[in-house]
Amino acid sequence: MTHQTHSYHMVNPSPWPLTGALSAFLMTSGLIMWFHFNSLILLALSLLTNTLTMYQWWRDIVRESTFQGHHTPTVQKGLRYGMILFILSEALFFMGFFWAFYHSSLAPTPELGGSWPPTGIHPLNPLEVPLLNTSVLLASGVSITWAHHSLMEGNRKHTLQALLITIMLGLYFTLLQASEYYETSFTISDGIYGSTFFVATGFHGLHVIIGSTFLIVCFMRQLTFHFTSNHHFGFEAAAWYWHFVDVVWLFLYISIYWWGS
Amino acid sequence: MLRSLLALRQIAQRTISTASRRQFENKVPEKQKLFQEDNGIPVHLKGGIADALLYRATMILTVGGTAYSMYQLAVASFPKKQG
Repeated sequence: MTHQTHSYHMVNPSPWPLTGALSAFLMTSGLIMWFHFNSLILLALSLLTNTLTMYQWWRDIVRESTFQGHHTPTVQKGLRYGMILFILSEALFFMGFFWAFYHSSLAPTPELGGSWPPTGIHPLNPLEVPLLNTSVLLASGVSITWAHHSLMEGNRKHTLQALLITIMLGLYFTLLQASEYYETSFTISDGIYGSTFFVATGFHGLHVIIGSTFLIVCFMRQLTFHFTSNHHFGFEAAAWYWHFVDVVWLFLYISIYWWGS
Repeated sequence: MLRSLLALRQIAQRTISTASRRQFENKVPEKQKLFQEDNGIPVHLKGGIADALLYRATMILTVGGTAYSMYQLAVASFPKKQG
């Protein structure tokens, strides 16, 4: 039997890049069918196949690392670079929406009444639910740090408790934000205010849901003894992502909710 | 050699904690044995028959869906004339 003489991971051929690419194609075609022909079947199919691809791809990575031992320090270093670059790309994604917000709010046009918030728009009070949301996410940043330290110290029970608290806080944020969306007196089609508000906070909310899902996966992996006290990169990646989501919210709160009111 | 040393270290670190509830047994060593079996099966199918079924379903849905979207594109490309 031959053995590799390097510390990199040569993966088995996998069908998931293909199914992932096809599901992305189905997603774009599905959106067209929905927008122009009032048919939801392709879009629904795309969401299903995308979910199936993600589940099986990441399941395979868990198998390759935890069960097959392929994640050497070299491989882990690559994964760290990858996650950092991904989060950086997401930061740039959000910067675009912040640019749009500041472009319109720093020099409000006559059509808006020359003011920001525009005439007729009643923004949410930043000292009510938005402030609570801020404290919820900040607290979740503390609890996830507690979880990490517990994990590094080999304290299984505390790791699970702290992770659970983090997840609950994330879910609480999502529920609060959903109720706020219901309560606003303005909608996404209420001019540039509505557009910038709902697109920026909407994408943030989506990232909170993605981050919460990642944390739930980590919780299940911790339950089933996947993580060790010094090798748990999946958890670290989830924690980095979660802190990123928290920081984006802080920028949203300061810019759109506070300064923008 | 290095890889098996690393795996051994991880197994030793993953022993069941003596404290707290017995609800979850550490099944990682069993999984490690299953997925390290030298049978040439690729990782996406190595878990058993459920893997094969899920793979088949995913492939059928994605390829079938792509064919369906091509059909819809053809239909949309030749709109019916009104009146």
